[in-house]
Amino acid sequence: MASVTIEQVRKQYGAVPVIHGVSMDIEDGEFVTLVGPSGCGKSTLLRMLAGLEDISAGEIRIGGRLVNDVAPKERDIAMVFQSYALYPHMTVAENMGFALKLKGEGKVAIEKRVREAADILALGPLLDRLPKQLSGGQRQRVAMGRAIVRHPQVFLFDEPLSNLDAKLRVTMRAEIKDLHQRLKTTTVYVTHDQIEAMTMADRIVVMRGGKVEQIGKPLELYDRPANTFVATFIGSPAMNLFDGAIADGQFVTNDGVWLPMPADYRGAMAEVYGIRPEHLTIAENGAPATVVVVEPTGSETHVLVKLGSADANLVLRDRVDLQPGQPVHVAPNLPKLHLFSAQGTRVN
Amino acid sequence: MSDLAISTLQTQVKPERSAVGSLRIVQTASILVIALVIVSPLFMLFVASLKDDRFQILADMGSFRAFWVSNPTLSNFAEVGNLSGELAFGRYLLNSLIILASTVGAGLIVNSMAGFVLAWGSLRGRALILSLVIALYVIPQESIIMPLVIMVSRAGMTDTFAVQIVPWIASPLYIFLFYQFFAQLPKELFEAAQMDGASVFRIYRSIFLPLSLPALATVSILMGIETWNQYLWPILVTQTDYARPIAVAIATFFGQDSIYWDRAMAASVLMMIPILALYLAFQRWFVSSFVGSAVKG
Repeated sequence: MASVTIEQVRKQYGAVPVIHGVSMDIEDGEFVTLVGPSGCGKSTLLRMLAGLEDISAGEIRIGGRLVNDVAPKERDIAMVFQSYALYPHMTVAENMGFALKLKGEGKVAIEKRVREAADILALGPLLDRLPKQLSGGQRQRVAMGRAIVRHPQVFLFDEPLSNLDAKLRVTMRAEIKDLHQRLKTTTVYVTHDQIEAMTMADRIVVMRGGKVEQIGKPLELYDRPANTFVATFIGSPAMNLFDGAIADGQFVTNDGVWLPMPADYRGAMAEVYGIRPEHLTIAENGAPATVVVVEPTGSETHVLVKLGSADANLVLRDRVDLQPGQPVHVAPNLPKLHLFSAQGTRVN
Repeated sequence: MSDLAISTLQTQVKPERSAVGSLRIVQTASILVIALVIVSPLFMLFVASLKDDRFQILADMGSFRAFWVSNPTLSNFAEVGNLSGELAFGRYLLNSLIILASTVGAGLIVNSMAGFVLAWGSLRGRALILSLVIALYVIPQESIIMPLVIMVSRAGMTDTFAVQIVPWIASPLYIFLFYQFFAQLPKELFEAAQMDGASVFRIYRSIFLPLSLPALATVSILMGIETWNQYLWPILVTQTDYARPIAVAIATFFGQDSIYWDRAMAASVLMMIPILALYLAFQRWFVSSFVGSAVKG
């Protein structure tokens, strides 16, 4: 196990910069998720950490050792790929033991380590099978087995669950988290799925356009997003944002809808009013709105309403009898309000 | 449905069915004709090799008797199958097999390595080298043969096995075939092996080469046929029987005064056997390689 330090790391392809000076510290044994939309640079950053991409500028340290010019095999890290990247002509046991064989470990030692990893991941009965004889979930477990058998200092996961169906993804998510809790190996996990990031990580790094938008614990990011990008990226359904301005102690949207403000922030320079769907409720004294779509999920009800010309999502824990076109009044839970400047930066 | 409607439907369907039937007959007949054109010379060759009178073979060639033998004999094979002596065709066959095995064996290693480096190596000017390799492919062998003869004579290599093997090991066509095959394998396989601690050579040997059976089979067959049928080059670089291949030796039956059809036919049958065996051994991967490249584009 080891800490990872990334300091002012930049990456350019020719004249095109893709990573613009990213810095972060990952503690020993921590599970950190890099999350962001496609093309934000999260996989490139992971590949630079793995040594599969050159670093244009900055420093990467693993366990205090500068690894900028160290080959992947010398970094003592293991990576699980999105496509699993299992060797098709080798059995599960051979796939898992390949790295140890290259290290020059003895046959008995390799068998012992492979057996240990197989027991952790319940792969024992599959050791003699070829990858093509396995299901997607089993292949993913073999890919993880190949990583853990080496006892590396750092695990890297590059969108490992993207090729699995929704149900299996939930199961594997729990398995990876459980594995980390047992092994306590420092883990960097890349995903574009914010649910994966929220449920698995000790800390989340939200990236956009090759820059870090915010680093924090999952609930910190959820409760206090640093900007409108993080506010809308973390959480599903996304946070409702209304453009407007503060006037007479209230927030007036560009459509002329009046929304209440807490007394403390009436003087703030806020031009974006944010409220999460579960913090917006139906109330008699709220702002007038019209129901557009009602989506009961069983445990909760998602309601899309029109607030002026803007869409607003509500997540209601109670079962409600609402019809499309029905006029309602909606009110925010004021302590849960998020206010942002015109540039999208948090002001409260 | 009324009777009228059914009869109308039948009249619509019938011409379509008869058109499909006619098409099948034409297809089958075409395949039969093509098969006959390809198989009949081979069959004639085999039948003639079992006849012991060379004048009779010549007389039969213009008629259906060319496809029939009344008193089959293996005497021609016994005559040409010796390892030494005047008709040491066993020896020539052995020479050809040595040249074939060495050229194909070394060719698979050298060309696959070159293809791998061009596809995955961190070599500067890879694209330029690849363009040169492709450009070299269009140069016919015959156009470089005289400079090559001068080079090998100056190197003192004439009349050896090496002179028939070394110049033909590396080939732009086979390098390109391997390059294409390796380039389509997923990048993650290479990277996973890198992360596992494999060197570039180890990735080639332990991961990519075992996955390239279709390419290896294709190159083995194409290179095998090319090597086996070499005629001009061995004539230019061999003077004695020491390393002379069977393709050149067969030509000695076609003298200025007389042609020994019986021995030539038996020797030709002997010559065909190894290359047919090579094809049959690798044809499964050979066919799958071509089908694979067609599907993947």
